[in-house]
Amino acid sequence: MQIQALDPYRFRIPRDQRRGMRTDVIVYASRSLIDQIRKDQSLEQAMNVATLPGIVGVSLAMPDIHQGYGFPIGGVAATDLEGGVVSPGGVGFDINCGVRLVRTNLTQEEVRPRLRELLNQLFRDIPCGTGSEGPLRLSNQQLDEVLAEGAGWAVRHGYGLPRDAEFAEESGCLPGADPDKVSAKAKERGRPQLGTVGSGNHFLEVQWVEQIHDEAAAGAMGLRLGQIAVLIHCGSRGLGHQVCTDYLAEMGAAMKRYQITLPDRQLACVPIQSPEGQAYLAAMRASANFAWANRQVILHLLRGSLEKLFGRQVRVELIYDVCHNIAKQERHEVDGRKRAVLVHRKGATRAFPPGHRDIPAAYREIGQPVLIPGSMGTASWVLVGTERAMQETFGSVCHGAGRLMSRTAARKGRNAREVQEKLEQQGILVRSETRDGILEEIPEAYKDVDEVIEVVHAAGLARKVARLRPMAVIKG
Amino acid sequence: MFEILEHTADIGFRVRAPGPAELFARAAEALFALAFELEGVVERQSCELSAEGADWESLMVNWLSEALFLLDARRLLLPRFEVTEIGPRRVAGRGFGEPYHPARHRAKLVIKGVTYHQLVVEQRPEGWYAQVILDI
Repeated sequence: MQIQALDPYRFRIPRDQRRGMRTDVIVYASRSLIDQIRKDQSLEQAMNVATLPGIVGVSLAMPDIHQGYGFPIGGVAATDLEGGVVSPGGVGFDINCGVRLVRTNLTQEEVRPRLRELLNQLFRDIPCGTGSEGPLRLSNQQLDEVLAEGAGWAVRHGYGLPRDAEFAEESGCLPGADPDKVSAKAKERGRPQLGTVGSGNHFLEVQWVEQIHDEAAAGAMGLRLGQIAVLIHCGSRGLGHQVCTDYLAEMGAAMKRYQITLPDRQLACVPIQSPEGQAYLAAMRASANFAWANRQVILHLLRGSLEKLFGRQVRVELIYDVCHNIAKQERHEVDGRKRAVLVHRKGATRAFPPGHRDIPAAYREIGQPVLIPGSMGTASWVLVGTERAMQETFGSVCHGAGRLMSRTAARKGRNAREVQEKLEQQGILVRSETRDGILEEIPEAYKDVDEVIEVVHAAGLARKVARLRPMAVIKG
Repeated sequence: MFEILEHTADIGFRVRAPGPAELFARAAEALFALAFELEGVVERQSCELSAEGADWESLMVNWLSEALFLLDARRLLLPRFEVTEIGPRRVAGRGFGEPYHPARHRAKLVIKGVTYHQLVVEQRPEGWYAQVILDI
């Protein structure tokens, strides 16, 4: 495979590399990251994405890219709203998997002495892991309301403050969601899971602000050195997983009718304007709304835990909430002209620039907050979006550190207790439902998050605002 | 019996069987064995499931997606499967096990979905073979 270096942070795979590619692939990476990236099939997958009918601009790969199924994880592709396709594989099974960052008025000095107590309180109050059930018992009618209203439903029913929903991407609700397009099976699978973190790489993490790189932006977000923040990472749980399963099956059959052939069946897609495409998008939006309501209920449970330990004067405020598995209808300038496109972000975060009307007024001067979780032993980052991202990547950047090691390889030769002790020596407490949950997410299983962030910062796609260090992690 | 397959983001398995009925049963058993510690799960009840597909590959994905639904939505742990009807377009059978109980059963991982990524379902000279990657 021929990869051309365009500058220290941009690489191109030209469209003539393989038959069927309709456009180039652009990879954002450093020299050392590109060497790691070449070891798995992620670049072949980014080339497969370049074959999608109606793709607009280039097929994009972020520095945290790793092999997924269909789309690479860390892939971005926009398709023309009129002549292009929608691909459930470009969103993934975990629709609107995302992160929400909250700030508190607590400091590291106040929390450190009670960290173990806090870890155990969070583990008791916030359902994690397989088979866990949330605090709500939803009727059919209520579940449909959640799917239509998203985070706002949770706030309206006492799970949060009115301000919370305003500070989420899309205000925590994508319009155009249709609960009737979500199957009975998906509803059955997701119903008990509202307000649960789930498993795998999902977590809730107590962090402290270690570095500030941009005082003005950090100030607008209410972040200061030594402050305690909490990062919540989860998605639409079984409901979204089943929606993806249902529509992949339907699209596999429908593709023949639309005479679409692709190099990978997991890329299954149909025209956006077809009945199947419209039905998927309505169900995907409903799943996204479920995910926002899910993260909102978890925020409410978190407030309860912190108040139990630190009293009612504790303030827990949402900074922002981003989704990193989604397809969004947006307007972008391509080749000098504004076009309506569907931006698939599969393991990628929206990063809109200052002045954009789709970001909350409080952040309009600094740009959209971009939240990038690292691994549980390293750091997470807060960035802001830039105009350059609008010009080059449909306003998108990376979504995490990016996996390096398979889960099996991460478990091999390691002991969960030893991993926990090593993290404790660094001041990080971890509690998981399963031993494997700790081993599979060891810091060594991931790329260096600082290097990934350096690429997007130096390439001008986003600007560094703050680096946060983990203190306590609960996970499935 | 099955063999675990490594994949950067996900997990997969390979199964071999003399015929398609055993292959589909073993594949469903592999899915449950990856998700839960199945030692000590008692066969107290059985549950019917079936799936349709356009070919062997989509039939396998749809069949395993049905099994996953029983696990994630119905909370059934089913260590053993029997396939009673099989053709390239339809499979039907039963799973045997008991409902999940947090005090007695230990989870290993949450499976989100069954993918077409690097999927293989085929008849080989020595028997039937399948390779499946799961999103976790």
